[in-house]
Amino acid sequence: MPEPRSGRRPLPRRAVLAAAAVGLSAALNSTLTACATASGSTSGGVTLTFSWWGNDDRAARTEQAVRLFEKEHPGVTVRTSSGDFGAYLQKLATQAAGGGMPDVAQLDYRQVSQYAGGGALMSLDDTIKNGTIRTSDMSRDFLRTGTYKGGQYALPMGRGITGYAYDSAVYARANIPSPKPSWTWLDWERANRKIVALGLKSPDGRPFAGANDGGTNEDVFETWLRSRGGKLYASQTELGFTEDDLTAFWTFCDRLRKDGTIAQARDTAQANSTETSPMGRHLAAADFTWDAPFPSYPALLGDSVHFAPVPTTDGHQGSYFKPSMLIGVSADSEHPKEAAQLVDFLLNDQRVGDILAFSRSTPPNRRIAARVARTLKGPEREIYEYAQTMEKYGLDAPPTAPPRGDVAIQTAFTREYQRVMYGLATPRQAARELIDEANRELRS
Amino acid sequence: MSTVSTRAPSRPAPDTDRQAPKRRRRQVRERQWPAYVFLSPWMLGALVLTLVPMAVSLYLSFTDYNLFDPPHWVGLRNYTEMLTEDPRYWRSVGTTMLYVVVAVPLKLGLALGVAMLLKNLNRGRAFYRSAFYAPSLLGASMSIALVWKALFNDGGTVSGLLDSVGIDVGGWVGNPHLAVYVVVLLTVWQFGAPMVIFLAGLQQISPDLYEAASLDGAGRRRQFVSITVPMLSPVIFFNLVLEIINSFQVFTPAFVISGGKGAPADSTMFYTLYLYERGFTASHMGYAAAMAWMLLIAIAAITLILFRTSRSWVFYADEEGR
Repeated sequence: MPEPRSGRRPLPRRAVLAAAAVGLSAALNSTLTACATASGSTSGGVTLTFSWWGNDDRAARTEQAVRLFEKEHPGVTVRTSSGDFGAYLQKLATQAAGGGMPDVAQLDYRQVSQYAGGGALMSLDDTIKNGTIRTSDMSRDFLRTGTYKGGQYALPMGRGITGYAYDSAVYARANIPSPKPSWTWLDWERANRKIVALGLKSPDGRPFAGANDGGTNEDVFETWLRSRGGKLYASQTELGFTEDDLTAFWTFCDRLRKDGTIAQARDTAQANSTETSPMGRHLAAADFTWDAPFPSYPALLGDSVHFAPVPTTDGHQGSYFKPSMLIGVSADSEHPKEAAQLVDFLLNDQRVGDILAFSRSTPPNRRIAARVARTLKGPEREIYEYAQTMEKYGLDAPPTAPPRGDVAIQTAFTREYQRVMYGLATPRQAARELIDEANRELRS
Repeated sequence: MSTVSTRAPSRPAPDTDRQAPKRRRRQVRERQWPAYVFLSPWMLGALVLTLVPMAVSLYLSFTDYNLFDPPHWVGLRNYTEMLTEDPRYWRSVGTTMLYVVVAVPLKLGLALGVAMLLKNLNRGRAFYRSAFYAPSLLGASMSIALVWKALFNDGGTVSGLLDSVGIDVGGWVGNPHLAVYVVVLLTVWQFGAPMVIFLAGLQQISPDLYEAASLDGAGRRRQFVSITVPMLSPVIFFNLVLEIINSFQVFTPAFVISGGKGAPADSTMFYTLYLYERGFTASHMGYAAAMAWMLLIAIAAITLILFRTSRSWVFYADEEGR
């Protein structure tokens, strides 16, 4: 740039503008190229991104399966990422909003409607029709859990079911028979009273309760509701229960907690894992839980812990087989064919079945599930047999994926019952507030 | 933000030369344009990173936007819903107000007290000043909030100590009546930044004033009320405004301590945390944007009120003759 002879002499306009433009475009270009190398394909071929949530064991097994896929499909590279459940959901939502969702993503049951309705997921109908993704070994009823408005947008990766972890040694001491698939909520209440009557103490000297308090848990409410013939949602925009239903459930829980039959408020409020649950802290004899996390109970508390069915109303079971997680393909994926191949490989390849085993609950592919089941022992064998018992006992079909507002309703459920637990609201007030909030969520 | 005037201030031109103003304007323009070129990266930044997002956020606050579907115009519905239909909105306002009213005076009182102790300390002042300031540097981090959570959890150090003297409240973190005070204590503990400012202010007060007062027989309390507080009032005002504005935006400690949920029973659901929850967990970005604008308006109003009332109690040395 020519040096101005005097302070007054203006700089040549073009030179300055050109310099500025070059600088600016250089800055923009470098960011753009950075983006391109980060998300596009490499010179070697196709790069897919795949993300999931879960523990280290699941991560190691999934990595192994993905490396096998890469070996079978030369030219395809799969970049993986995983995180814990809460952070994963928020990250995925932000990525999806920005159009940067991974090509293949593990999804929660509650996300399917939201993502499919928002156009973030690719419809899998064509890939299923042309055989890229095979579903012949999966239950038709169960596949319905990944549908939105009649289209298949996600496929279940594992089949889970609710159950009841209980300490059989305590039950035997209180002279309670081991729970059968037909035991009722009244039986459950009586069992808890018998346990409290034993007068056991926790390690820190506090009274030992019969079970944890299911009032904060929407899953427990759903099981209770279904056992009485109800359901959580009547449609994608309508609740399936009334203020009276919820008031009845919370009044029931509230009464038992005040009696000291189930865990105290402060212990329920701080429970967020097996270790911190009242049962995990030796404060209660039982806990409502899912089949997938069940093996961590005997690992923590000993072999006397077993997996039983949840109570019924007059023999009508409220449990149902639910996808523990699903898998879907991003609508923005640049390589939908390869992404679909990866989905198929993870769900249907026998070797992958051996690698992943039960790390995502029972595999939805029946052939693989039966093959892997032969190797099971201990608590894992127990859950497998539990599922078979429940299948024979007879369960209602699963509902379609919950509406998009369910994520917010689920957290509201916990919060409103906490208000009841701490005497900030009566069961009816809390139920009224939850239903108001749920209706606002479902409306929008 | 300062505004850049695009036109040179024009003065009435003398009648004799009608072409002069035009020429002068052109000269001024010629002198100024390189400045704009060199300023352009900054102006681009201000525009792209500040003004555009603000405008978008204002627009979104009038829409229903769930991150997936395109925003859908709903007019004032977000605002009317938060003000008339949402009990949680008012609870978050109440929790935040409680926090501001308790934490700010405690923090400033502690900062002033420690600053006064340190002012008269000759040996080791640098050490204590750094030691008390350190929490301000560390306090905003996730790790400290996690430590705090562990301290106040059931079975943590605090409940253990209380238990040993016969007070069994369980974990503070799990108790909706106490959880908010865990956040208050964490904030009060970070009193270092206002303390350093107080210390600087205290050192500005002329020792002559105290000397004269003690000759007149004024005791320590009298000296504090009649000299320290008035002479320090601009500094107190500065700290007060800053702390109040910061307190309305408390987020990280509440997020970490409550696991991002404002738990238990919404007792740590501060305004910004509720805003975050609406936006990112419940996917109501429009509602969250409306909440952000309400917060901006509230903070502006409170700051304005503070400045208005400050005229009656803040004393500036150069206004002595007033």
